[in-house]
Amino acid sequence: MANVQLNGVRKTYPNGAIAVRGVDMTIDDGEFIVFVGPSGCGKSTLLRMIAGLEKITEGDIKIDDRQINDVSPADRDVAMVFQNYALYPHMTVRGNMSYGLKNRGMPKAEITKKVEEAASLLRIGDFLDRQPNQLSGGQRQRVAMGRAIVREPKVFLFDEPLSNLDAKLRVQMRIEIKRLQRRLNVTSIYVTHDQTEAMTLADRLAVINDGKIEQMGSPIELYKNPATLFVASFIGSPQVNRLPVTFDGQNLVNGDLVIPGFTGLPQKTRLVLGIRPDDLHQSGDGQFTLRVDIVEQHGADNLIYGALRGTEENDADDAEFCFKTDHSLLPALETTLQLGFDTERAMVFEQESGQRLL
Amino acid sequence: MQAVTGYSLVRRCISHLILLCGVVIMLAPVVLIVLSSTHTTQTLQQQGLQWVWGDQALQNYSRVLAFEAGFFDQVTPLAMLQNSLIVALGVATLTTLFSLLTAYAIVFFEMPLAKWVFWLVLMTLLFPLESRFITTFQITALLGLINTHVGIILPVLAAALGTFFFRQYFLTLPKYLIEAAILDGAGPWKFLVDIILPLSFSRAGAIFVIAFMIGWNQYLWPLMISTDDSLYTLVRGIRLIGQESGPGMALVVITILPPFVLLLVFQRWFYGALSSRV
Repeated sequence: MANVQLNGVRKTYPNGAIAVRGVDMTIDDGEFIVFVGPSGCGKSTLLRMIAGLEKITEGDIKIDDRQINDVSPADRDVAMVFQNYALYPHMTVRGNMSYGLKNRGMPKAEITKKVEEAASLLRIGDFLDRQPNQLSGGQRQRVAMGRAIVREPKVFLFDEPLSNLDAKLRVQMRIEIKRLQRRLNVTSIYVTHDQTEAMTLADRLAVINDGKIEQMGSPIELYKNPATLFVASFIGSPQVNRLPVTFDGQNLVNGDLVIPGFTGLPQKTRLVLGIRPDDLHQSGDGQFTLRVDIVEQHGADNLIYGALRGTEENDADDAEFCFKTDHSLLPALETTLQLGFDTERAMVFEQESGQRLL
Repeated sequence: MQAVTGYSLVRRCISHLILLCGVVIMLAPVVLIVLSSTHTTQTLQQQGLQWVWGDQALQNYSRVLAFEAGFFDQVTPLAMLQNSLIVALGVATLTTLFSLLTAYAIVFFEMPLAKWVFWLVLMTLLFPLESRFITTFQITALLGLINTHVGIILPVLAAALGTFFFRQYFLTLPKYLIEAAILDGAGPWKFLVDIILPLSFSRAGAIFVIAFMIGWNQYLWPLMISTDDSLYTLVRGIRLIGQESGPGMALVVITILPPFVLLLVFQRWFYGALSSRV
């Protein structure tokens, strides 16, 4: 049980590469924080600095108001679950889970008790005397978590722990991690590049891009109210629709497409209109005409992809619009749909800086 | 089986034929020596080495075991065996230990010159002992190690091969392993003893056997560095008893035996190390 504070944390590698460019953050006691971002954004480096596996170039990190910059990783009272489990291949499950306790000089009887408690909590009690190579991926992941739990650390650190599992197992383990964290109520920091994982696990999530925190807040807040184009694009699945536009004083314009209902935007700068696929609806007098290209049937929902009529040719990805609707709407390919949206829910960003304007 | 490997019967027969040829080539000299050791010296000298079993086995072997040479008759097969074992075990143990520790330091510690140290170690492969006898002799003499077991062992410690072997293996270990150990409160010593040693066990066994062979088969260096009869090893002793004699052949057979037994014992580890199960 502890809070974690990061003040102006920076990381520069000896070769001059900058991984983290000044991060400030306060994590409350028992909170589940997720660092999410594309690969190479510095989220893992940040986590590893908290663990003590990377040196902190600048700034400081405190756990429970105690500065830990120069404290050895073993004495920071943190436990980490690694992406590749990092189980000791020659030790049994029991050996793996008790190794850290043994090194700390805990009496044998107490170790046995703790290991067995954690094992029953994770439902790996039957495998305690097996070697890791006799376990499935999900079981290994549980052992890795068990090794962290027995330590009863102040902070749990998870470094993409589910990325080696198959999709079905990943969902299962995700729920289990959440349940476990609720139950143990230990401050946790979780790194992932998977936005679904981030959204579902986090109390608060930090979207990290290029070594900086783009935005931090509760998942739904970030979804509904992204501060930058990056956050808007990263959070939410399917991705937010982005339409490059300019403002002529009254309307947003792209080629022949004119979208009214906006005020107070700068002219002569390039803007991006962002609309979530589920904020679109079918309507006779809607602003967009979508030429249907692909229909993905997901069961309950259909995702309809296509190009907007009247827009200038942009590169293919940006031109593709997605409309999320229920399964009853199944238009034929090459037909058109008239789509509308509530201007209140539309987001406008400055293209250059990515900052949200509206 | 055929479907799995895709080998036709003919191709499999050819493969086996080639392998059999190899077996014959490898085995023939050994068989020749064993068979020849059962003949009289006279037969061997007049008719050359023998491909059939003779009737002198008992006589030859008992003569070898009773053999005594040297100024004070202190060179006996048993004494030579003891010397051979000291040298071979010394070389094997120290080579394994040093190469393991060197590789451990090179791979797991952030030393500024680790890379260069490694290449320096590897470069010793280019200068076998034979090519630097004179300087090595000078240094050994300077250290006062002439006519000692240590003097025979130290220059033979061919650590480069072992270091390379262990280094390659350590590099395949996931980086997470050491990080997990760090978080589990294991320092460099604990990590070595609890994680690295158990994982390297089979590989260490393989290096041990190879180094044992190297030590066991030393001939030229012990010849140079020791003038004392009491330091004779088996390999050197063969000369005393005469190569082309029945007892000489018997001594050769006795000389082959210990490494052979060792190989049998370590066979399992050898395979494990080569097939890298971990």
